[in-house]
Amino acid sequence: MAVDRRGFLKFVAGVSAGVMVTPIPWKLLDDASIWTQNWPWIPSNVDGASTYVSTVSKLCPSCVGMKVRLVGDRPVRVLPDDNHPLSKGGISSLAVAEAQMLHSPARVKRPLKRAADGAYVAISWEEADALLAEKLAAAKGSLACVSGDETGSINDVLSAMTGKAGSSNFYLMPSEAQPAAKAVAAMGGEGQLGYDIENSDYVLAIGANILESWGTVIRNRAAFKATRPHGEEPAATFVFAGPVQNNTAAGADQWVPIKAGTEGAFALGIAHLLIKAGATADAADFSAFARLAGTFTPAKVAELTGVNEDQLKDVAKALLKARRPLVITGSEFGQGTGAASVLAGVAVNMLLGGLNRKGGLKLLPVAGPVVDGAMTRAEMLGKDFVAYMSRINAGKDKAPAAMVFYEANPAYALPQAAKMAEVLAKVPFKATFTTFLDETAMLCDLVLPVPMGLERLDDVATPYGSGQALYCLARPVAPMPAHVKPAGDYIIALAGKLGMDLGVGTWEEVLQAKARAMGADWDSLMDGNVHVSSSTVNAQPAFGAGMLQKGIATKAAEGDYAIAPVHKLNVGTAKTAIPPYNNKTIRRWELQGKELYVAMNGATARKLGVMKHDKIVVSNKSGSISARVNIFEGVMNDTVAVLMGLGHTAFDQFSKGKGENVMQLLTVGFESGTGLSVWNMAGATISKA
Amino acid sequence: MEIKEFKVKWGMAIDLDKCTGCGACMVACQAENNLAPIADASNKIKVMNWLVVYELSNKKPFPEHDVAYLPRPCQQCGHPPCVSVCPVVATDKNEEGGIVSQIYPRCIGCRYCMAACPYHARYFNWLDPVWPEGMEKALTPDVSVRPRGVVEKCSFCHHRFMKAKDKAIAEGRDPEALADGDYVTSCAEACPNGAIVFGDLNNPDHQVYHLSRSKYASRLLERLHANTQVYYLSRREWVRRQLDNYLDNEKVKG
Amino acid sequence: MADRHLHPANGNSAPSQFGGAAPFFVGLVVALILGWWAFPQMLFSQKHQPVRFSHKVHMEGAGMECKSCHFLREDGSYAGLPTTESCAECHSEPMGEDPEEARFIEEYVNTGKEVEWLVYQKQPDNVFFSHAAHSVDSCNNCHEFTETELCSQCHPNVAETDEAPVYYENKLTKYSKQTMKMWRCERCHANPEHFGTTRSSNACYVCHK
Repeated sequence: MAVDRRGFLKFVAGVSAGVMVTPIPWKLLDDASIWTQNWPWIPSNVDGASTYVSTVSKLCPSCVGMKVRLVGDRPVRVLPDDNHPLSKGGISSLAVAEAQMLHSPARVKRPLKRAADGAYVAISWEEADALLAEKLAAAKGSLACVSGDETGSINDVLSAMTGKAGSSNFYLMPSEAQPAAKAVAAMGGEGQLGYDIENSDYVLAIGANILESWGTVIRNRAAFKATRPHGEEPAATFVFAGPVQNNTAAGADQWVPIKAGTEGAFALGIAHLLIKAGATADAADFSAFARLAGTFTPAKVAELTGVNEDQLKDVAKALLKARRPLVITGSEFGQGTGAASVLAGVAVNMLLGGLNRKGGLKLLPVAGPVVDGAMTRAEMLGKDFVAYMSRINAGKDKAPAAMVFYEANPAYALPQAAKMAEVLAKVPFKATFTTFLDETAMLCDLVLPVPMGLERLDDVATPYGSGQALYCLARPVAPMPAHVKPAGDYIIALAGKLGMDLGVGTWEEVLQAKARAMGADWDSLMDGNVHVSSSTVNAQPAFGAGMLQKGIATKAAEGDYAIAPVHKLNVGTAKTAIPPYNNKTIRRWELQGKELYVAMNGATARKLGVMKHDKIVVSNKSGSISARVNIFEGVMNDTVAVLMGLGHTAFDQFSKGKGENVMQLLTVGFESGTGLSVWNMAGATISKA
Repeated sequence: MEIKEFKVKWGMAIDLDKCTGCGACMVACQAENNLAPIADASNKIKVMNWLVVYELSNKKPFPEHDVAYLPRPCQQCGHPPCVSVCPVVATDKNEEGGIVSQIYPRCIGCRYCMAACPYHARYFNWLDPVWPEGMEKALTPDVSVRPRGVVEKCSFCHHRFMKAKDKAIAEGRDPEALADGDYVTSCAEACPNGAIVFGDLNNPDHQVYHLSRSKYASRLLERLHANTQVYYLSRREWVRRQLDNYLDNEKVKG
Repeated sequence: MADRHLHPANGNSAPSQFGGAAPFFVGLVVALILGWWAFPQMLFSQKHQPVRFSHKVHMEGAGMECKSCHFLREDGSYAGLPTTESCAECHSEPMGEDPEEARFIEEYVNTGKEVEWLVYQKQPDNVFFSHAAHSVDSCNNCHEFTETELCSQCHPNVAETDEAPVYYENKLTKYSKQTMKMWRCERCHANPEHFGTTRSSNACYVCHK
């Protein structure tokens, strides 16, 4: 039967009518709309049972305690841990996205070796083992080792290995613990300075960024929280003295602007007023100290520090009135300060009767080394890596044949960063144990990937700033990536291969020995509990007046403008760079695209003849950075506030090439008396670009 | 317009004198609610943030300058301007607890709600969310991931409300009478300064009930009468003055 | 045009009253067959569970209850399906002669791999369903459901089957054919008789996330 045109049209009409009463158009329309809700490139939720594991962060310098939420076996959230003394229901902006950082694009996934053409090639662990053993054996004691972990027993292992290799060059990355240790030594005391913020009713932070980055900051902030119920008068007063109205100043009841690097002079100014008001202390060199403090009259202190005299007097009065005052000296950016400013701070505490008193300054016991040939903590903190690098640069010390880094990023984090990278280049063989492909890894011949804190067994022993001695374990909550090895066991095995006997077989043995040394119960630690000890070291320390007098002399900074680095934990550390989830917390006028913004007050801007968004160049003999201007009135006159943690040249798309690294502008000097390297008083000239 | 009232009304009391602007709440929020990171986060127009910490200044020159930080979640208005403009009822306020809902598959991306919101609390997905390879493994199962083309906003971690109710049922408690602390948002939980207190504004057993009645408490742009459920506390008069549009010689609340 | 007018059509086709409509009805029938029979065949692909699991053996043979595997966790969330680990509590070694059990042990228990069970009622990510809220206690304020009846309001009753039903996957949406659409939730949620007696409000956030 032939179909004519009319018949065909009738057929089509029939089909059309029929289709309308079938599910085809309606179901397809509905399904198509559902189809558009689930694109394959949009990740979907994966369900499972939630479990929570208590541990401690090895990533955040505050050593914050945390509860990791796992769904099935995946860590998805890092939550505060109410029961951990370093969390007390709070979490840091850095640790809170630690679970996400397990999958950071900057992670090193397998051992890398630098080929002759400078490119990195993945190698097997066997190759890496052989290369490292060969180079370290060949170095024959011409070895230096740098650790970026301030609180872990890994330092026992590393320092023992370095020592047994015949070298004394084991260093920690610079921090506030080193000048504090020098200060305790100068006072003839022992133990580690501890700060009982919880029980104080008047906390004066001179330079120390106690509500943002200094010490055990989340625990500091828990103490801050406890003393100020919502909408009520606070039960404790917090005062911050520093060049920038930073996050600590934002929380403090009072901000006392003082120039960067003049914390010691400010503290001595307070001491002067306290002594005048009759304060005294039972120390051998009190009279020597009183003589020194006598020269720090309010007028002189105002000149040195830029402080308002009345404000200085008010603070001294308030300290005298407080029942349990506490003075904390430190650096706004967590490093580069000298022992003198710590000594001056301790002196004020002593005048206030605050030594080993509730709500005062404590001397905390420190556990001894648990590995054969390891350095004591005091010895470790006595070593000055920046000074060592400067000696190599000046030709006073020979560059070692091999340098090993452990979770340290000196190529980015040291002052005069560019210079330090040059010095590092003089070292023929460099290897790094690192989680992320950082600036230092990019200088190394061998890059060895280590697991993150969430993936390994590790420990934290009394971080600097803590008010009591404590010990806890970081427990693995996530499976380790396939080609990553924990450093503890690896280095113990390496030492064995090199013919050194560290007296321990495994990393876990080291931790168990440390737990015993701290007086902690291993099983309880493994359950996620924290060992806390309220004991203090009985001592009758002196003021260290002699050392203080030498160290306190402030030198004139270079240029007409002072540089005040601003440290914020949310921007990450040298070890983490800017974590992917933290990028958004950088403020609009701190960074735009690749351009750094620096802050100055209106008067300074007028003096320079610049307006907001204008381009400037900040330079000194160490380096120069270009930036745009942001006007922020919470900065002292003739000072530029520069956000730290930017200007990375390694890591990933979330960090690389954003802004500039302020460390390039920080010039290293040496404190007279202690010889400690210091870089908290950088000056610069500013020109319009 | 009538204000929607509920027996339970979830709300916040944020003490601006306690907030130091560290950003922990913003990061906690992103991780909890599956927001994607972005390589260039300085482009604030394309950046998705359910919670933003604003910087306030007393606008005085150094050394009289003072600074404060203001965390801004969705204010969960009593009669939300966003709801009335939505042409497809993708956002609504009709549930016990008074949280303004946002249903992503229903949203057509017209962004009327964004224009209507006086608090800039709503965000449009200009881009598809992209996680670095493998990071999607750290997504929570609690919040669906939004594709390009829809609007999203803070939900007061509504999924935690659901879970708190389920937990109450499993433990044989009344899911409609949650105790203070049974349900808290991720930001309130994370804050190391305890600046954010979360709870039922209608329940005298909850801390926020009393805090919202503090003489220092006021709400953002209160005189728009959006009747929001987020209260801000500050003992500083200049801070409270910036929470609404006051005339220069006008007396500030509190 | 003129030509066509002069020679209307093929001379053979007798102009009849119904014959003229025949192609229409043929088309209609073709469309109906296509739409109601062929289209569903084309739209859905048939899938089978990755492991042949007999509920009957476990219920009758081993004396287990539904709750043994499908239970509310302590935190109120619902363990919909057992993990391989919980299966391995009994099946670490073969308990019977069934080669499928041996395969399950070899492929899953020994490797620790989870079984990718096909869930007949799998809901989209944007749906939040609380098993805790939809309890016998709550519904039986008015109804008189047995547990099986209540679960069967949404789920296929497989308790007495030896073999799991075929899983029909929508090729376009990738959801199961049985996945409930919102109107089926609204049978209860939008039912005014439920207001006041249950918490089943029809507010958006009651079911969405």
